[in-house]
Amino acid sequence: MFRTDRLFGVIPLAWRLELTGYPIVRQLLKSRWMPFLLLVFNLFVFTVILLATFIGGVGAGNYNFGIMIIWILWWVVLMMILVPGLARFWCTMCPLPLFGEWLQRLTLVGVRHDEKKGNLFIGFKKRWPKSLSNMWVMNFLFLGTTFFSAFFTTRPVGTFILLFSIIILSIVLSVIYHKRTFCLYVCPVSGFQALYSNFAMTEVRVKDPTICQAHKTKGCVVGNASGYGCPWLLLPYKFTRNTYCGMCFECFKTCEYDNMALNLRPPGTDLLVDENRHLDEAYKAFIMLGIAVTFFMSMQGPWGFLKDWVNMATLPGYFAFIALHAAWCLAVIPAIFLVFVWWAHRRAGPSEVSLKKSYINFSYTLVPLGLAAWVAFSWGIILPNGSYILHILSDPFAWGWNLLGTAHVPWTPVFTGLMPWLEIVTMVAGLLFALDFAYKLAVQTYREPAAAGRAAFPMMLCLTLATAGLTWLFIG
Amino acid sequence: MPPESNLQPPPGRWGSVLAWVVVLAATVFTIAAALLYEHSRTAERRVIEIRAQAPEKGNFYPQRIELAAGERVRLRVRNIDTVGHGFALPALNVGIAEIKPGEVADFDITVPDEGSEYEFFCTVWCSEDHMRMRGQLVVLPAQARR
Repeated sequence: MFRTDRLFGVIPLAWRLELTGYPIVRQLLKSRWMPFLLLVFNLFVFTVILLATFIGGVGAGNYNFGIMIIWILWWVVLMMILVPGLARFWCTMCPLPLFGEWLQRLTLVGVRHDEKKGNLFIGFKKRWPKSLSNMWVMNFLFLGTTFFSAFFTTRPVGTFILLFSIIILSIVLSVIYHKRTFCLYVCPVSGFQALYSNFAMTEVRVKDPTICQAHKTKGCVVGNASGYGCPWLLLPYKFTRNTYCGMCFECFKTCEYDNMALNLRPPGTDLLVDENRHLDEAYKAFIMLGIAVTFFMSMQGPWGFLKDWVNMATLPGYFAFIALHAAWCLAVIPAIFLVFVWWAHRRAGPSEVSLKKSYINFSYTLVPLGLAAWVAFSWGIILPNGSYILHILSDPFAWGWNLLGTAHVPWTPVFTGLMPWLEIVTMVAGLLFALDFAYKLAVQTYREPAAAGRAAFPMMLCLTLATAGLTWLFIG
Repeated sequence: MPPESNLQPPPGRWGSVLAWVVVLAATVFTIAAALLYEHSRTAERRVIEIRAQAPEKGNFYPQRIELAAGERVRLRVRNIDTVGHGFALPALNVGIAEIKPGEVADFDITVPDEGSEYEFFCTVWCSEDHMRMRGQLVVLPAQARR
């Protein structure tokens, strides 16, 4: 069987290309203008989005700047490029928690620091409850937002309410709690980025751990005059996986020894890091897979009655949608997965590993598969609808403007003939990664290669059946 | 032995000023610029918005428009439907073959003499009830001008 330290038995998982080895990248990440200028650019975009969704003319569905940019462009770029490629780089430039953070710091780009007191903040600086210091709140909030998916994604005012609520909530929580507590434990968008960024091809890590061991002041944690201690309440010198690193790059600014690195790496590396794995992350994987299926069926599928349910055409239909969608994500998928893990556990033979541990470990195989399902779903969004972007750029508020001369470009689906093939290739790629990591996780869980081989079979069957089902759904 | 310290100082006072300028430009200035630009486009004329949907979904709304004689207005026809519609007001010589879903068409008109009633209608076969997709522009005395 494949070597577990190599992706597909070929590419060493330990391979890294240090992007910060290039002076221009290092200087960029050490500057306080990065990510500030990126944030300001997105602040501009989101200002237009909020204005367009609040007072912009009521266009038909996709002809609204806010709906187009958020649900067609941003979502697709996030799922197809940012998360698989650049981990949580969206968090680097997300403007939604910006006001809360500026309020805490009382400065936009500078650093308020006192040699004795450290970084200066205002607010109550409370600690988030330990029992909620996980993904459960984000899991339920994200699932909860999908109950209103038709409202948020087709009504401009729905998008406005969603974004404005997130901004207000982030400000309130920033006043009460320390640093980026909102982003860490509450933001609905944060949770899936956290889990899926374990698959990403980039990472922020320490270059030489021995330098950190010898360094006593730990500017990356407590901050200094050049930057803030990790806003995500982490210990950058101990980073082993991407999950909770929001890629704010403060640790690049506070490290006296330039010991932080931004690395390019093989995809999926962090899926094998057995640290702080819990049921909340497993459920995030189930929920994301479940939502991908529900979204596809209700948005791109041929089932008219389902669209009516999601669109709240009738109250009983809408409640049926909520009940079935919640049960599908929270009970059916986890239960099906449990059956296969139980089978794998039995086949592995006697071991000290608990069924729960196996269940959690194998749930990480759903990261590449879930991400592939979202990428495949995204093809069905961007290829038919992408041309709307030209229209809304010229007439962002639907007031009849024609800023770029593209306001009357007709709706032009592109490469939709290729869509089924792109979806198949995407799902097959996701399956190959999932199978590879299923075996690696089996070896990691059961240690003994023979037991791991036996345990891997049911999981590989599960993943293959899931991929077949998803592919049938996409192209059937 | 760790290498030498390599910290960079944060931006100074002018850096902070610049940061404020770009943040204000991205937010307050953006909103103000959008509103001012739209105001400049519509300052000369009152904008009357007519929403177009197939008759079974709502028809033209409003279907009856009352304007004062001599008034200079901009008729803004907005297709909020998922199918194409057209617009024609033959008596005032304005019209467009098709307004695609989500698009907007503007027509600048000067309202003619009082006492008249003019019909406008859809020019695209948009539904089985297409022939019902029509409305009236009613001209009031000049004193009724807003």
